[in-house]
Amino acid sequence: MNVIGDPNQAASAGEEAGLDPREAVKILEQAKRQAQRQFNPQPPLLVVVGAALVFLFGYGAVWWSMRDQHPYSSGPALWSLAVLYGLIAISAIAGSVVFGRAQSGVGGRARRQQQIQGVAFAAAGIGAWVVEGALRYRGVSFEIVYGVYGPTVPLIALIAVAAGINAMRESWLELGVCIGIIAVASVSTFFGPLGAWGLTGLGCCLVLLAYAAALVVQQRRA
Amino acid sequence: MSTSTVEPLDPLIHVPARLRILVTLAALNEGDTLSFTRLQKMLDLTPGNLITHLRKLEDARYLKSEKTSDGNGLTTIVTLTRRGRAALDAYTEALRNLLGGLAP
Repeated sequence: MNVIGDPNQAASAGEEAGLDPREAVKILEQAKRQAQRQFNPQPPLLVVVGAALVFLFGYGAVWWSMRDQHPYSSGPALWSLAVLYGLIAISAIAGSVVFGRAQSGVGGRARRQQQIQGVAFAAAGIGAWVVEGALRYRGVSFEIVYGVYGPTVPLIALIAVAAGINAMRESWLELGVCIGIIAVASVSTFFGPLGAWGLTGLGCCLVLLAYAAALVVQQRRA
Repeated sequence: MSTSTVEPLDPLIHVPARLRILVTLAALNEGDTLSFTRLQKMLDLTPGNLITHLRKLEDARYLKSEKTSDGNGLTTIVTLTRRGRAALDAYTEALRNLLGGLAP
């Protein structure tokens, strides 16, 4: 159905005659790059560095509040959890603004895929937290449930979903970042509560800073 | 002696604005739609200019447009058809062949 009306502005459309083929190639490449950048944006450098700082200061705050607990006793201080969740909230808002801007005006299959991805993230997060509750219910110690499982397994579950999405998109750099975060979080569980919070925070921060550096290199090459 | 021929460039696509429109829509997955407003912002064209080019592409069945309700009123959405995608691929190939022939 043709619903685009006739605006009587055909003259303004300008049939640019005699377009040079080399110029056409240039226009084609520029338009392709611009569209790919706008529809599938790599997160801006600021967002990546921000996420790195969330790991460093959020996880770092929790580690700091527990650093003298040998053995694990009262767990993280409330102020440190407030810092962690506050930073996560700010980071989530910034990420959703960037993603929302990229997908503005795009509909059809892409919109359905976003909804399905949202369901996958929700399922992974809820599943991981339900298991955390179940472990505590079954009498597993606070040290393991909140000290080791809490900072790592929900993160691994959420990042595994992100890894799957990036693999489908063939976004290899982002897939590598996801694998790096999963590796850091998994290995850190060997080092107890302090290791889980401290190493996950520091390691994920470094992975994200390396990603930021790779983005800078990519942008310069482009 | 070589007898290779160079395909002519599709004159409907061989116009900067229409080439940009098709390339932008082709960057979406098959079946995805793009709102008129977003397309206009991305290409930095006036509404009248964009409508004129879209109409020509729609007449050639390179794209489809329809009005939908988005909750805040009616909005026009545009989709690249398979025919449009194939035409852009053929144009790109023809351009490559032409430039290959022109290259020193």
